[in-house]
Amino acid sequence: MDSAGDNRRSVEYGADPKTAQPKGRTDRVKYLFIGPAVIWVLAFTIFPLLYALYTSFYTYRFGQRLGFVGLDNFVRIFGDVNLLSSLRVTLIFVVGTVATEMILGVGLALLLNREMRGKNVTRGIATLPLFATPVAVGYLAITLYYEQDGPINSLISALGGRDVPWLSDPVWALVAVILVDIWQWTPFVFLVTLSGLQSLSSELYDAARVDGASSLQNLRFLTLPLLAPLLWLILLLRLVEAFRVFDIPVSLTLGGPGRATEVYSLYTYRTAMRFFDHGYAAAQGFLLLVIVMLIVSVIFSRVRGLYEEEG
Amino acid sequence: MRLVYRAGLWLVTILALVWVLFPFYWAFLNSIKTPDETFQPTWIPFLQFQPTLEHWRSQLATPEIRHALLNSTIISIGAATIALLLGTLAAYALARFRFKRPSNGALTTWFISQRVLPPVMFVTPFFLLMRQFGLLDSVLALVLLNATFTLPFAVIILSQTFRELPRELEEAALVDGASYFQSFLSIVLPLTLPGLAATWIICMAFSWNEFLFALSLTSKSAIPMPVIIAGAEHTRGVQFWFVGVNVLLTMLVPIVLALLAQRYIIRGLTLGALKG
Repeated sequence: MDSAGDNRRSVEYGADPKTAQPKGRTDRVKYLFIGPAVIWVLAFTIFPLLYALYTSFYTYRFGQRLGFVGLDNFVRIFGDVNLLSSLRVTLIFVVGTVATEMILGVGLALLLNREMRGKNVTRGIATLPLFATPVAVGYLAITLYYEQDGPINSLISALGGRDVPWLSDPVWALVAVILVDIWQWTPFVFLVTLSGLQSLSSELYDAARVDGASSLQNLRFLTLPLLAPLLWLILLLRLVEAFRVFDIPVSLTLGGPGRATEVYSLYTYRTAMRFFDHGYAAAQGFLLLVIVMLIVSVIFSRVRGLYEEEG
Repeated sequence: MRLVYRAGLWLVTILALVWVLFPFYWAFLNSIKTPDETFQPTWIPFLQFQPTLEHWRSQLATPEIRHALLNSTIISIGAATIALLLGTLAAYALARFRFKRPSNGALTTWFISQRVLPPVMFVTPFFLLMRQFGLLDSVLALVLLNATFTLPFAVIILSQTFRELPRELEEAALVDGASYFQSFLSIVLPLTLPGLAATWIICMAFSWNEFLFALSLTSKSAIPMPVIIAGAEHTRGVQFWFVGVNVLLTMLVPIVLALLAQRYIIRGLTLGALKG
């Protein structure tokens, strides 16, 4: 019975001897199904990852490997002012975008979670930014933020404000990058939260109404606790994505003015592709991985329930 | 009071829609304005200004742009096809067979966890490896990489799609003496065709939008659309009308693709946590 337990189907067939499958057959065939994908990931993800680790122990000059330097590349990180500055920029970006996107997206979803005309159109429109090529969005934003008579500054002056130096001022440039990311990803938080809300059972709310709960009480004691795992997942996905940000700052500000919007990935990219300092770039990559893994490990336990049925 | 509340809701909805749609309209508007008109605050073609297709014509006649559009198309289709082939097989295995060590759950998590790795980690190893294999500035390199990075989406979306399919049909075929591959090809695949098509489409859209590796690994002949765009403002300055055309040329393909696969997008983006 041991190998019959390997496979759900053979357990079922086992009940009826006439339809039982030959024991060894499903065992081998399942590896044929999953094998190609596993080999692919080993070849194109795991192997490059190990190769990067190997690279990180060497020093490179103009793209040529020179010599083994042990952990020097990792030690360098902590004395690199520009790298620490890119880390700081990235942290500001992550906090600014993710917090705003969560608040706006969840808020809108709670507000609009009702039978409304044009719901499918609203959803369709909310999908548009998600798939708009990020580089193209950043490039387009150059014209939107145009400081003399661009549409945003025109609107601000029409409302009685002063022209904002969007792309020439270090602080405003980072705000500009953050706003573009908010435009692109708030719809994601909104759409996913809305789907989550619509999958909640209405019976619970009927029961709460019988008990005389107010809508604020419903939100606090029913909706939010039920939705919590999903909200943690959205937060996790957004954090992971925000830490890797690259496309928008490259196309909108090229990391400038100065290094005001030079995010971590851009700094690492430049280390690798402009200075061809591959060993150091690889070491930087692993630091980013460690940061992301820390976040995942803190949040993942709250999310696991969503995947539990996968067995 | 109720009326005020409803009016408020509509106001919020409309503001949100304008906020989302304005950049697209702005790009479109600039793409059909003459250079002189781009700085005029005019918003309605024909009524306020005479639209022109001149910039579309001239950009679509540019050899670099045509070549980039072709590259992007090949990369997207090639990568999505590989991801779909590998992903379908793996997803079926995860949905229908039981693995012991590692378990199905662990395998699924392993596929999902690829999405956590920061892409910039791979710039150095991919650059060095592709240089080694003579694949720098080749479309093939980008096909392989995008297939790799979209594979987790394919596995997750499809393993759920297969789980939702009742087992009985396959079981009947197996009892009749069909092999696993026969029942997979003749029963499972035809019944899940919409899911397969949507997965293929989503993988294409993601591959089309990929930028980091396209920038790192191409220099001339393999350049796709996103890389063309990123370099543009430095070579010619900001010309609003060309920005409009190029932005729309780049964005329209993934956006249309995404709308076609709408039903499966939430599932893909939440890595299978929500059915959407």
